[in-house]
Amino acid sequence: MPRVILTGSIQQHVGGLGAVEIGGDTAGAVVSALEAAYPPLRGWVVDERGTLRRHVKLFLRGRAVGLDAVLGHDDELHIVAAISGG
Amino acid sequence: MGELLVGTRKGLFVLRKPRGGGGKGAFEIAARAFPGEVVEFAMRDRRSGRYLAGVTHGQFGPHLFYADDPTGAWQQAEGPAFPTSLNAAVERIWVIEPGVGDGELWCGVAPAALFRSGDGGKTWALVQALWDVPERAQWNPGAGGMCLNAICPWPGDRNRLAVSISAGGVWLTDDGGNSWRRGVKGLVPRYLPEEARADTHAHCVHHIERAPQQPSTLYMQFHGGVYRSDDAGESWIDIGTDRGLPSDFGFPLAIDVHDPNRAFVIPLTSDMDRVTPGGKVRVYETRDRGGSWRALEEGLPQSKAYLTVLRQAFCTDGANPLGLYFGVQSGEVFGSADGGRSWRTIAARLPPVVSMRCA
Repeated sequence: MPRVILTGSIQQHVGGLGAVEIGGDTAGAVVSALEAAYPPLRGWVVDERGTLRRHVKLFLRGRAVGLDAVLGHDDELHIVAAISGG
Repeated sequence: MGELLVGTRKGLFVLRKPRGGGGKGAFEIAARAFPGEVVEFAMRDRRSGRYLAGVTHGQFGPHLFYADDPTGAWQQAEGPAFPTSLNAAVERIWVIEPGVGDGELWCGVAPAALFRSGDGGKTWALVQALWDVPERAQWNPGAGGMCLNAICPWPGDRNRLAVSISAGGVWLTDDGGNSWRRGVKGLVPRYLPEEARADTHAHCVHHIERAPQQPSTLYMQFHGGVYRSDDAGESWIDIGTDRGLPSDFGFPLAIDVHDPNRAFVIPLTSDMDRVTPGGKVRVYETRDRGGSWRALEEGLPQSKAYLTVLRQAFCTDGANPLGLYFGVQSGEVFGSADGGRSWRTIAARLPPVVSMRCA
């Protein structure tokens, strides 16, 4: 089952966990499953359209990917706050 | 209650008068919530005592929170969020306003939309009829985004509401939000070519306030113009030209909830120079429905002070004498406990102030 690694500022919405194993064959499916398991996370990674927030990045095997990235059983998906802001 | 909620670019500051008095007008920072995040708006629903805040995280977007104690833990609300079918997303929470019904609250967001809560702010639903008005296609976003920035309920009548949109004009409902009509007659959008003004739908309304003692009276700070309505927002009368204001451009506007003839504005130099005119910080007051304005300046900086005040960053406490408070982009908060006659700096060196409400 893929493992999701969450950046610190959103761990509070998944019970304080830094990593969660959750089913899904794409990054988008994993994020959806994560939201279903942890409703307070809704709206933080993707907006209500299901679009990845502009300043959130997903990394898979060391590369930035989109929600359509295909995940293998042993993959780790990192959800990261992009370098931005003021 | 001697508590101010100051939304800033770097968190919510809860300012309180110390127990036992302290100096006249002194406040201390009782709490800072949402550190590092933009608190666009924070208020307290005086009916329930509940606090609500619209917070935009730089990476993770806008969210609405509520708490019974602003110095403790905040809970995340469900919404406001658009139904998936609309393919729209909330960009920013601009205003939260108590309604008339039990537990009723209204919330204005960008892109310009109105949400309603019937449970004190825990859950929110889109007011679909305002989203569906066909004129929406002709609205224009201002520099801050296309925002629904002010909500004016009608005391005692939950069906009547006025809202303002930048730039989409004033919209009125008499049936609790099921149908809407525009209220822009008399507004002159000088920022458009003359030949384009009559047919435009892009009326850039910066703020409106309703006089609760006389609900048919509303005041407006427009994008170049100060106006009053005597017919509940259907039409507007110019009260900004040649009546004592140094400029009719500005963002915030406040009223005296006890006196429908009394309102306050904080003019900025112009559309192209959004600072206090001449380096002097002055609040202007009318006591005759906009017939004339006079400067209130005692205790405010009167030289080399080029400050910017945003539309949500000016409030009154509803007390008698009236308390007035405003925060500025350079991080000061100014307050008056005597209706504006004298002012003092009650906080300094905060992050840029976005909103200001008396709890």
